[in-house]
Amino acid sequence: MTMLDTVGNRVAQAAAWSGELSLFAARSIREVFRPPYEVGETLRQLYELGVRSMPLITVAGLAVGVVLSMHTRASLERFGAEAMIPAGLTLALVKETGPLTAGLLLSGRIGAGIGAELGAMKVTEQIDALEATAVDSFKYLVVTRMVACVIALPILTTMMNGAGIVGGYLAEAALVQTSPQLYFDRAFSLVDFADLVPATLKTAVFGFIIAIVSSFLGMTTSQGTEGVGRASTRSVVLSSVVLIVVNVVLVRLIFLLFPETA
Amino acid sequence: MPDAAIRFDAVTKSFGDRRVLDEVSFEIPRATAFCLLGRSGTGKSVTLRHIIGLMRPDSGRVFVNDEEVSALDSRGLSRIRQGMGFLFQNAALFDSLTVGENVAFPLRRHQRHLSDSAVRRAARDKLAQVGLEPDYDKMPADLSGGMRKRAGLARAMALSPPLLLVDEPSAGLDPITAGEIDQLLVDLKGQQGTTLVVVTHNIPSARAIGDELALLDNGRIVARGTAAMLGQSADPLVRAFMRSEGSG
Repeated sequence: MTMLDTVGNRVAQAAAWSGELSLFAARSIREVFRPPYEVGETLRQLYELGVRSMPLITVAGLAVGVVLSMHTRASLERFGAEAMIPAGLTLALVKETGPLTAGLLLSGRIGAGIGAELGAMKVTEQIDALEATAVDSFKYLVVTRMVACVIALPILTTMMNGAGIVGGYLAEAALVQTSPQLYFDRAFSLVDFADLVPATLKTAVFGFIIAIVSSFLGMTTSQGTEGVGRASTRSVVLSSVVLIVVNVVLVRLIFLLFPETA
Repeated sequence: MPDAAIRFDAVTKSFGDRRVLDEVSFEIPRATAFCLLGRSGTGKSVTLRHIIGLMRPDSGRVFVNDEEVSALDSRGLSRIRQGMGFLFQNAALFDSLTVGENVAFPLRRHQRHLSDSAVRRAARDKLAQVGLEPDYDKMPADLSGGMRKRAGLARAMALSPPLLLVDEPSAGLDPITAGEIDQLLVDLKGQQGTTLVVVTHNIPSARAIGDELALLDNGRIVARGTAAMLGQSADPLVRAFMRSEGSG
Protein backbone atom coordinates (compact mmCIF):
# COMPACT_ATOMS: atom_id res chain seq x y z
CA MET A 1 0.00 0.00 0.00
CA THR A 2 1.44 3.35 -1.00
CA MET A 3 1.54 6.39 1.24
CA LEU A 4 -1.09 7.96 -0.98
CA ASP A 5 -3.42 4.97 -0.36
CA THR A 6 -2.86 5.28 3.38
CA VAL A 7 -3.64 8.99 3.35
CA GLY A 8 -6.67 8.36 1.14
CA ASN A 9 -7.99 5.69 3.52
CA ARG A 10 -7.52 7.97 6.50
CA VAL A 11 -9.37 10.80 4.78
CA ALA A 12 -12.20 8.43 3.80
CA GLN A 13 -12.42 7.13 7.40
CA ALA A 14 -12.49 10.67 8.79
CA ALA A 15 -15.21 11.65 6.31
CA ALA A 16 -17.29 8.58 7.23
CA TRP A 17 -16.81 9.28 10.94
CA SER A 18 -17.83 12.93 10.48
CA GLY A 19 -20.90 11.83 8.53
CA GLU A 20 -21.94 9.42 11.28
CA LEU A 21 -21.38 12.07 13.93
CA SER A 22 -23.47 14.57 11.95
CA LEU A 23 -26.35 12.08 11.63
CA PHE A 24 -26.06 11.34 15.36
CA ALA A 25 -26.25 15.08 16.13
CA ALA A 26 -29.22 15.59 13.77
CA ARG A 27 -31.05 12.66 15.37
CA SER A 28 -30.50 14.11 18.84
CA ILE A 29 -32.10 17.41 17.78
CA ARG A 30 -35.06 15.62 16.16
CA GLU A 31 -35.62 13.41 19.20
CA VAL A 32 -35.80 16.38 21.59
CA PHE A 33 -39.19 17.25 20.15
CA ARG A 34 -40.61 13.73 20.01
CA PRO A 35 -42.38 12.19 23.01
CA PRO A 36 -41.88 10.58 25.43
CA TYR A 37 -39.94 13.38 27.12
CA GLU A 38 -37.43 12.11 29.66
CA VAL A 39 -37.94 15.03 32.07
CA GLY A 40 -36.87 13.19 35.22
CA GLU A 41 -33.65 11.86 33.69
CA THR A 42 -32.88 15.26 32.13
CA LEU A 43 -33.18 16.92 35.55
CA ARG A 44 -30.94 14.21 37.04
CA GLN A 45 -28.35 14.89 34.33
CA LEU A 46 -28.68 18.63 34.91
CA TYR A 47 -27.73 17.96 38.52
CA GLU A 48 -24.92 15.50 37.68
CA LEU A 49 -23.39 17.52 34.84
CA GLY A 50 -24.36 21.04 35.89
CA VAL A 51 -24.71 21.42 39.63
CA ARG A 52 -21.78 19.12 40.35
CA SER A 53 -19.57 21.19 38.05
CA MET A 54 -20.19 24.36 40.06
CA PRO A 55 -17.28 23.98 42.51
CA LEU A 56 -14.81 23.46 39.64
CA ILE A 57 -16.18 26.44 37.73
CA THR A 58 -16.19 28.71 40.78
CA VAL A 59 -12.62 27.93 41.81
CA ALA A 60 -11.36 28.15 38.22
CA GLY A 61 -13.26 31.41 37.70
CA LEU A 62 -11.71 32.99 40.81
CA ALA A 63 -8.22 31.95 39.72
CA VAL A 64 -8.73 33.21 36.16
CA GLY A 65 -10.04 36.51 37.55
CA VAL A 66 -6.97 36.95 39.76
CA VAL A 67 -4.54 36.20 36.93
CA LEU A 68 -6.44 38.35 34.43
CA SER A 69 -6.46 41.21 36.92
CA MET A 70 -2.69 40.97 37.37
CA HIS A 71 -2.12 41.01 33.60
CA THR A 72 -4.62 43.84 33.05
CA ARG A 73 -2.96 45.92 35.76
CA ALA A 74 0.50 45.28 34.28
CA SER A 75 -0.72 46.47 30.85
CA LEU A 76 -2.87 49.44 31.86
CA GLU A 77 -0.40 50.78 34.46
CA ARG A 78 1.93 51.69 31.59
CA PHE A 79 -0.69 54.10 30.28
CA GLY A 80 -1.79 55.34 33.70
CA ALA A 81 -5.19 53.83 33.09
CA GLU A 82 -5.57 51.82 36.32
CA ALA A 83 -9.17 53.02 36.61
CA MET A 84 -9.98 50.95 33.51
CA ILE A 85 -8.82 47.68 35.12
CA PRO A 86 -12.29 46.51 36.30
CA ALA A 87 -13.94 47.28 32.96
CA GLY A 88 -11.07 45.81 30.91
CA LEU A 89 -11.07 42.64 32.98
CA THR A 90 -14.84 42.27 32.80
CA LEU A 91 -14.95 42.77 29.04
CA ALA A 92 -12.17 40.24 28.50
CA LEU A 93 -13.95 37.76 30.76
CA VAL A 94 -17.49 38.00 29.43
CA LYS A 95 -16.60 38.28 25.74
CA GLU A 96 -14.15 35.41 25.42
CA THR A 97 -12.08 34.22 28.37
CA GLY A 98 -15.04 33.11 30.51
CA PRO A 99 -17.00 31.25 27.79
CA LEU A 100 -13.96 29.55 26.27
CA THR A 101 -12.35 28.60 29.58
CA ALA A 102 -15.67 27.26 30.89
CA GLY A 103 -16.19 25.32 27.65
CA LEU A 104 -12.74 23.73 27.78
CA LEU A 105 -12.92 22.93 31.49
CA LEU A 106 -16.33 21.34 31.07
CA SER A 107 -15.29 19.40 28.00
CA GLY A 108 -12.73 17.85 30.34
CA ARG A 109 -15.05 17.14 33.22
CA ILE A 110 -18.30 16.40 31.38
CA GLY A 111 -16.85 15.00 28.17
CA ALA A 112 -14.66 12.47 29.95
CA GLY A 113 -17.54 11.51 32.24
CA ILE A 114 -20.05 10.95 29.46
CA GLY A 115 -17.55 9.09 27.25
CA ALA A 116 -16.50 6.77 30.08
CA GLU A 117 -20.00 6.20 31.48
CA LEU A 118 -21.67 5.43 28.16
CA GLY A 119 -18.65 3.44 27.02
CA ALA A 120 -18.79 1.27 30.15
CA MET A 121 -22.54 0.84 29.72
CA LYS A 122 -21.98 -0.22 26.13
CA VAL A 123 -19.35 -2.88 26.84
CA THR A 124 -21.28 -4.32 29.80
CA GLU A 125 -24.50 -4.59 27.74
CA GLN A 126 -26.34 -2.08 29.95
CA ILE A 127 -27.41 -0.13 26.85
CA ASP A 128 -28.85 -3.35 25.39
CA ALA A 129 -30.52 -3.97 28.76
CA LEU A 130 -32.19 -0.55 28.54
CA GLU A 131 -33.48 -1.41 25.07
CA ALA A 132 -34.63 -4.82 26.31
CA THR A 133 -36.70 -3.10 29.01
CA ALA A 134 -38.44 -1.15 26.22
CA VAL A 135 -36.56 2.10 26.84
CA ASP A 136 -35.23 4.11 23.90
CA SER A 137 -31.56 4.23 24.91
CA PHE A 138 -30.80 7.13 22.56
CA LYS A 139 -33.46 9.35 24.11
CA TYR A 140 -32.70 8.19 27.65
CA LEU A 141 -28.91 8.48 27.50
CA VAL A 142 -28.02 10.91 24.71
CA VAL A 143 -30.87 13.39 24.41
CA THR A 144 -31.10 13.92 28.18
CA ARG A 145 -27.37 14.64 28.43
CA MET A 146 -27.47 16.92 25.41
CA VAL A 147 -30.36 18.98 26.77
CA ALA A 148 -28.73 19.15 30.22
CA CYS A 149 -25.43 20.38 28.71
CA VAL A 150 -27.16 22.97 26.51
CA ILE A 151 -28.94 24.37 29.57
CA ALA A 152 -26.01 24.04 31.99
CA LEU A 153 -23.19 25.60 29.96
CA PRO A 154 -24.57 29.18 29.76
CA ILE A 155 -25.43 29.06 33.47
CA LEU A 156 -21.99 27.75 34.41
CA THR A 157 -20.35 30.32 32.15
CA THR A 158 -22.25 33.10 33.91
CA MET A 159 -21.01 31.67 37.20
CA MET A 160 -17.47 31.61 35.88
CA ASN A 161 -17.74 35.22 34.75
CA GLY A 162 -19.10 36.22 38.17
CA ALA A 163 -16.37 34.33 40.02
CA GLY A 164 -13.76 35.86 37.69
CA ILE A 165 -14.94 39.40 38.43
CA VAL A 166 -14.89 38.66 42.16
CA GLY A 167 -11.39 37.18 41.76
CA GLY A 168 -10.33 40.33 39.94
CA TYR A 169 -11.66 42.47 42.76
CA LEU A 170 -9.85 40.38 45.37
CA ALA A 171 -6.58 40.72 43.44
CA GLU A 172 -7.04 44.47 43.19
CA ALA A 173 -8.07 44.79 46.82
CA ALA A 174 -4.89 43.00 47.84
CA LEU A 175 -2.77 45.57 46.02
CA VAL A 176 -4.62 48.86 46.40
CA GLN A 177 -7.38 50.13 48.57
CA THR A 178 -10.59 50.02 46.55
CA SER A 179 -14.23 49.92 47.54
CA PRO A 180 -16.30 46.98 46.26
CA GLN A 181 -19.06 49.30 45.05
CA LEU A 182 -16.69 51.46 43.00
CA TYR A 183 -14.96 48.38 41.56
CA PHE A 184 -18.17 46.68 40.50
CA ASP A 185 -19.66 49.93 39.14
CA ARG A 186 -16.57 50.35 36.96
CA ALA A 187 -16.56 46.64 36.07
CA PHE A 188 -19.97 46.84 34.41
CA SER A 189 -19.67 50.40 33.08
CA LEU A 190 -18.65 49.34 29.56
CA VAL A 191 -20.50 46.01 29.33
CA ASP A 192 -23.74 46.02 27.38
CA PHE A 193 -26.22 43.44 26.07
CA ALA A 194 -24.26 42.70 22.89
CA ASP A 195 -21.10 41.97 24.86
CA LEU A 196 -22.67 39.70 27.41
CA VAL A 197 -25.62 37.79 25.96
CA PRO A 198 -24.34 36.41 22.61
CA ALA A 199 -21.02 35.36 24.13
CA THR A 200 -22.78 33.59 26.99
CA LEU A 201 -25.41 31.95 24.80
CA LYS A 202 -22.78 30.61 22.41
CA THR A 203 -21.76 28.24 25.19
CA ALA A 204 -25.08 26.44 24.63
CA VAL A 205 -23.47 25.36 21.35
CA PHE A 206 -20.37 24.30 23.31
CA GLY A 207 -22.64 22.20 25.53
CA PHE A 208 -24.20 20.59 22.47
CA ILE A 209 -20.76 19.78 21.04
CA ILE A 210 -19.44 18.31 24.30
CA ALA A 211 -22.53 16.14 24.83
CA ILE A 212 -22.82 14.91 21.25
CA VAL A 213 -19.15 14.15 20.62
CA SER A 214 -18.67 12.33 23.92
CA SER A 215 -22.04 10.50 23.69
CA PHE A 216 -21.21 9.36 20.16
CA LEU A 217 -17.83 8.05 21.23
CA GLY A 218 -19.34 6.37 24.30
CA MET A 219 -22.20 4.75 22.39
CA THR A 220 -19.83 3.38 19.74
CA THR A 221 -17.28 2.00 22.18
CA SER A 222 -15.90 -1.47 21.53
CA GLN A 223 -12.98 -3.59 22.72
CA GLY A 224 -13.77 -3.75 26.44
CA THR A 225 -12.19 -1.64 29.15
CA GLU A 226 -9.41 -0.48 26.84
CA GLY A 227 -12.10 0.88 24.54
CA VAL A 228 -13.74 2.68 27.48
CA GLY A 229 -10.46 4.43 28.33
CA ARG A 230 -9.99 5.40 24.71
CA ALA A 231 -13.56 6.72 24.44
CA SER A 232 -13.03 8.85 27.54
CA THR A 233 -9.76 10.34 26.31
CA ARG A 234 -11.00 10.93 22.77
CA SER A 235 -14.17 12.56 24.15
CA VAL A 236 -12.08 15.23 25.85
CA VAL A 237 -9.65 15.75 22.98
CA LEU A 238 -12.18 15.81 20.17
CA SER A 239 -14.83 17.86 21.94
CA SER A 240 -12.16 20.41 22.91
CA VAL A 241 -10.81 20.64 19.35
CA VAL A 242 -14.28 20.90 17.78
CA LEU A 243 -15.27 23.47 20.41
CA ILE A 244 -12.24 25.68 19.70
CA VAL A 245 -12.78 25.52 15.93
CA VAL A 246 -16.52 26.19 16.18
CA ASN A 247 -15.76 29.08 18.54
CA VAL A 248 -13.95 30.85 15.68
CA VAL A 249 -17.09 30.58 13.53
CA LEU A 250 -19.34 31.70 16.39
CA VAL A 251 -17.20 34.74 17.19
CA ARG A 252 -17.28 35.75 13.51
CA LEU A 253 -21.06 35.26 13.50
CA ILE A 254 -21.45 37.41 16.61
CA PHE A 255 -19.38 40.17 14.96
CA LEU A 256 -21.65 39.99 11.93
CA LEU A 257 -24.88 40.07 13.94
CA PHE A 258 -23.66 42.59 16.55
CA PRO A 259 -21.13 44.84 14.74
CA GLU A 260 -20.79 47.06 17.81
CA THR A 261 -18.97 44.24 19.63
CA ALA A 262 -16.19 44.04 17.03
CA MET B 1 -53.94 -15.56 19.83
CA PRO B 2 -51.54 -17.53 17.61
CA ASP B 3 -50.31 -20.90 18.90
CA ALA B 4 -46.68 -20.07 18.11
CA ALA B 5 -45.20 -17.48 20.44
CA ILE B 6 -42.04 -17.28 18.34
CA ARG B 7 -41.31 -18.18 14.75
CA PHE B 8 -38.00 -18.02 12.88
CA ASP B 9 -38.36 -18.12 9.13
CA ALA B 10 -35.06 -18.89 7.32
CA VAL B 11 -33.08 -16.45 9.45
CA THR B 12 -29.49 -15.82 8.40
CA LYS B 13 -27.00 -13.67 10.27
CA SER B 14 -23.31 -13.17 9.58
CA PHE B 15 -20.56 -11.22 11.32
CA GLY B 16 -17.92 -10.46 8.72
CA ASP B 17 -17.20 -13.68 6.90
CA ARG B 18 -18.62 -15.84 9.68
CA ARG B 19 -22.19 -17.07 9.21
CA VAL B 20 -23.58 -17.52 12.72
CA LEU B 21 -27.17 -18.37 11.76
CA ASP B 22 -27.71 -20.13 8.45
CA GLU B 23 -31.35 -20.13 7.33
CA VAL B 24 -32.57 -21.15 10.77
CA SER B 25 -36.29 -21.93 10.98
CA PHE B 26 -38.27 -23.05 14.02
CA GLU B 27 -41.41 -22.35 16.03
CA ILE B 28 -41.89 -22.22 19.77
CA PRO B 29 -45.44 -22.93 20.98
CA ARG B 30 -47.00 -20.66 23.59
CA ALA B 31 -46.52 -21.52 27.28
CA THR B 32 -43.74 -23.98 26.63
CA ALA B 33 -40.08 -24.01 27.61
CA PHE B 34 -37.63 -24.21 24.74
CA CYS B 35 -33.98 -24.82 25.58
CA LEU B 36 -31.35 -23.92 23.04
CA LEU B 37 -28.12 -25.87 23.38
CA GLY B 38 -24.85 -25.65 21.55
CA ARG B 39 -21.17 -25.06 21.86
CA SER B 40 -19.85 -21.59 22.66
CA GLY B 41 -20.07 -19.20 19.73
CA THR B 42 -22.69 -21.15 17.81
CA GLY B 43 -25.24 -18.33 17.80
CA LYS B 44 -27.46 -19.15 20.79
CA SER B 45 -27.31 -15.65 22.29
CA VAL B 46 -27.60 -14.17 18.79
CA THR B 47 -30.87 -16.08 18.42
CA LEU B 48 -32.21 -14.54 21.64
CA ARG B 49 -31.15 -11.08 20.47
CA HIS B 50 -33.09 -11.53 17.26
CA ILE B 51 -36.23 -12.41 19.21
CA ILE B 52 -36.11 -9.20 21.24
CA GLY B 53 -35.03 -7.10 18.26
CA LEU B 54 -31.56 -6.18 19.49
CA MET B 55 -30.30 -7.63 16.21
CA ARG B 56 -31.89 -7.79 12.79
CA PRO B 57 -31.37 -10.72 10.44
CA ASP B 58 -29.41 -10.31 7.22
CA SER B 59 -32.20 -12.29 5.60
CA GLY B 60 -35.27 -14.15 6.83
CA ARG B 61 -37.91 -13.05 9.31
CA VAL B 62 -38.52 -13.30 13.05
CA PHE B 63 -42.07 -13.29 14.42
CA VAL B 64 -43.28 -12.86 17.99
CA ASN B 65 -47.00 -13.49 18.40
CA ASP B 66 -47.30 -13.34 14.60
CA GLU B 67 -45.81 -9.83 14.54
CA GLU B 68 -42.64 -9.47 12.49
CA VAL B 69 -40.08 -8.18 14.97
CA SER B 70 -37.44 -7.77 12.28
CA ALA B 71 -39.64 -5.20 10.49
CA LEU B 72 -40.70 -3.08 13.49
CA ASP B 73 -39.55 0.50 14.04
CA SER B 74 -38.32 1.69 17.45
CA ARG B 75 -41.85 2.40 18.73
CA GLY B 76 -43.08 -1.00 17.62
CA LEU B 77 -40.09 -2.65 19.25
CA SER B 78 -40.69 -0.76 22.47
CA ARG B 79 -44.32 -1.93 22.52
CA ILE B 80 -43.50 -5.57 21.87
CA ARG B 81 -40.58 -5.59 24.35
CA GLN B 82 -42.94 -4.69 27.18
CA GLY B 83 -44.24 -8.23 26.83
CA MET B 84 -40.76 -9.75 27.11
CA GLY B 85 -38.15 -10.17 29.80
CA PHE B 86 -34.50 -10.73 29.01
CA LEU B 87 -31.83 -12.12 31.30
CA PHE B 88 -28.43 -11.28 29.82
CA GLN B 89 -25.52 -13.66 30.07
CA ASN B 90 -23.65 -11.22 32.34
CA ALA B 91 -26.86 -9.91 33.97
CA ALA B 92 -26.20 -6.36 32.63
CA LEU B 93 -27.49 -4.70 35.79
CA PHE B 94 -27.50 -0.90 35.74
CA ASP B 95 -24.48 -0.20 37.94
CA SER B 96 -25.63 3.28 38.95
CA LEU B 97 -28.80 1.87 40.57
CA THR B 98 -29.25 -0.33 43.62
CA VAL B 99 -30.31 -3.93 43.12
CA GLY B 100 -33.85 -3.02 44.16
CA GLU B 101 -34.01 -0.05 41.82
CA ASN B 102 -32.77 -2.25 38.97
CA VAL B 103 -35.78 -4.50 39.50
CA ALA B 104 -38.07 -1.51 40.02
CA PHE B 105 -36.82 0.19 36.83
CA PRO B 106 -39.15 -1.56 34.34
CA LEU B 107 -42.08 -1.03 36.72
CA ARG B 108 -41.37 2.69 37.05
CA ARG B 109 -41.08 3.01 33.27
CA HIS B 110 -44.09 0.99 32.18
CA GLN B 111 -46.50 0.85 35.12
CA ARG B 112 -46.64 4.52 35.93
CA HIS B 113 -49.99 4.15 37.69
CA LEU B 114 -48.26 2.30 40.54
CA SER B 115 -47.31 4.29 43.62
CA ASP B 116 -43.71 4.38 44.79
CA SER B 117 -44.50 2.02 47.66
CA ALA B 118 -46.29 -0.41 45.33
CA VAL B 119 -43.29 -0.43 42.99
CA ARG B 120 -40.93 -1.08 45.89
CA ARG B 121 -43.18 -3.86 47.20
CA ALA B 122 -43.36 -5.50 43.76
CA ALA B 123 -39.58 -5.24 43.34
CA ARG B 124 -39.06 -6.80 46.78
CA ASP B 125 -41.43 -9.64 45.85
CA LYS B 126 -39.46 -10.36 42.67
CA LEU B 127 -36.18 -10.26 44.57
CA ALA B 128 -37.63 -12.61 47.20
CA GLN B 129 -38.43 -15.09 44.42
CA VAL B 130 -34.73 -15.31 43.58
CA GLY B 131 -33.61 -15.18 47.23
CA LEU B 132 -32.24 -11.64 47.16
CA GLU B 133 -34.83 -9.67 49.11
CA PRO B 134 -32.30 -8.72 51.85
CA ASP B 135 -30.01 -7.27 49.17
CA TYR B 136 -32.51 -4.67 47.93
CA ASP B 137 -30.31 -1.69 48.86
CA LYS B 138 -26.98 -3.11 47.76
CA MET B 139 -25.20 -1.88 44.65
CA PRO B 140 -24.59 -4.43 41.86
CA ALA B 141 -20.82 -4.11 42.40
CA ASP B 142 -21.32 -5.53 45.92
CA LEU B 143 -22.89 -8.76 44.63
CA SER B 144 -21.22 -11.98 43.54
CA GLY B 145 -21.58 -13.12 39.93
CA GLY B 146 -24.32 -15.59 40.84
CA MET B 147 -26.23 -12.99 42.85
CA ARG B 148 -26.03 -10.54 39.95
CA LYS B 149 -27.45 -13.24 37.71
CA ARG B 150 -30.38 -13.76 40.07
CA ALA B 151 -30.96 -10.02 40.33
CA GLY B 152 -30.96 -9.86 36.54
CA LEU B 153 -33.58 -12.60 36.47
CA ALA B 154 -35.70 -10.67 38.97
CA ARG B 155 -35.49 -7.60 36.71
CA ALA B 156 -36.42 -9.69 33.67
CA MET B 157 -39.49 -10.97 35.59
CA ALA B 158 -40.46 -7.53 36.91
CA LEU B 159 -43.32 -6.92 34.48
CA SER B 160 -44.43 -10.58 34.66
CA PRO B 161 -43.90 -10.86 30.91
CA PRO B 162 -45.61 -13.63 28.93
CA LEU B 163 -42.30 -14.29 27.16
CA LEU B 164 -39.04 -14.72 29.07
CA LEU B 165 -35.69 -15.01 27.30
CA VAL B 166 -32.98 -16.38 29.53
CA ASP B 167 -29.29 -16.55 28.63
CA GLU B 168 -27.38 -19.06 30.77
CA PRO B 169 -29.52 -18.91 33.92
CA SER B 170 -27.36 -21.29 35.95
CA ALA B 171 -23.90 -20.06 34.92
CA GLY B 172 -21.94 -19.11 38.01
CA LEU B 173 -24.50 -20.54 40.43
CA ASP B 174 -23.96 -23.33 42.93
CA PRO B 175 -25.96 -26.51 42.17
CA ILE B 176 -28.57 -25.84 44.87
CA THR B 177 -29.27 -22.27 43.75
CA ALA B 178 -29.19 -23.38 40.10
CA GLY B 179 -31.83 -25.99 40.96
CA GLU B 180 -33.96 -23.33 42.68
CA ILE B 181 -33.73 -21.06 39.62
CA ASP B 182 -34.69 -23.99 37.37
CA GLN B 183 -37.70 -24.66 39.57
CA LEU B 184 -38.65 -20.97 39.53
CA LEU B 185 -38.64 -21.00 35.72
CA VAL B 186 -40.70 -24.21 35.65
CA ASP B 187 -43.18 -22.62 38.07
CA LEU B 188 -43.41 -19.47 35.95
CA LYS B 189 -44.35 -21.57 32.96
CA GLY B 190 -46.77 -23.75 34.91
CA GLN B 191 -48.50 -21.07 36.98
CA GLN B 192 -48.42 -18.03 34.69
CA GLY B 193 -48.22 -19.69 31.28
CA THR B 194 -44.93 -17.93 30.54
CA THR B 195 -43.19 -18.95 27.33
CA LEU B 196 -39.53 -19.60 28.10
CA VAL B 197 -36.59 -19.55 25.72
CA VAL B 198 -33.52 -20.66 27.62
CA VAL B 199 -29.97 -20.75 26.32
CA THR B 200 -27.87 -23.09 28.40
CA HIS B 201 -24.88 -25.40 28.46
CA ASN B 202 -26.21 -27.09 31.54
CA ILE B 203 -27.85 -30.34 30.44
CA PRO B 204 -29.42 -31.22 33.83
CA SER B 205 -30.89 -27.71 33.84
CA ALA B 206 -32.17 -28.12 30.27
CA ARG B 207 -33.73 -31.47 31.20
CA ALA B 208 -35.44 -29.89 34.22
CA ILE B 209 -36.79 -26.84 32.40
CA GLY B 210 -37.25 -27.73 28.76
CA ASP B 211 -40.35 -29.17 27.15
CA GLU B 212 -38.30 -29.17 24.03
CA LEU B 213 -34.56 -28.91 23.39
CA ALA B 214 -32.72 -27.90 20.24
CA LEU B 215 -29.05 -28.13 19.40
CA LEU B 216 -27.41 -25.40 17.31
CA ASP B 217 -24.26 -26.26 15.40
CA ASN B 218 -22.57 -24.47 12.52
CA GLY B 219 -25.44 -22.02 12.27
CA ARG B 220 -28.14 -24.66 11.93
CA ILE B 221 -30.45 -26.51 14.28
CA VAL B 222 -29.13 -30.06 13.95
CA ALA B 223 -31.46 -31.74 16.44
CA ARG B 224 -34.73 -30.90 18.10
CA GLY B 225 -37.06 -32.78 20.43
CA THR B 226 -37.67 -33.76 24.02
CA ALA B 227 -34.70 -34.54 26.25
CA ALA B 228 -35.52 -38.26 25.92
CA MET B 229 -35.58 -38.04 22.12
CA LEU B 230 -32.27 -36.20 21.96
CA GLY B 231 -30.78 -38.68 24.41
CA GLN B 232 -31.46 -41.48 21.92
CA SER B 233 -30.15 -39.58 18.89
CA ALA B 234 -27.81 -41.35 16.51
CA ASP B 235 -25.84 -38.10 15.97
CA PRO B 236 -22.57 -38.33 17.95
CA LEU B 237 -22.56 -34.56 18.68
CA VAL B 238 -26.10 -34.69 20.10
CA ARG B 239 -25.30 -37.78 22.15
CA ALA B 240 -22.11 -36.18 23.46
CA PHE B 241 -24.03 -33.07 24.46
CA MET B 242 -26.83 -34.96 26.17
CA ARG B 243 -24.40 -37.15 28.12
CA SER B 244 -22.44 -34.19 29.42
CA GLU B 245 -23.22 -32.82 32.86
CA GLY B 246 -21.47 -29.52 32.21
CA SER B 247 -22.71 -26.53 34.13
CA GLY B 248 -21.50 -24.11 31.72
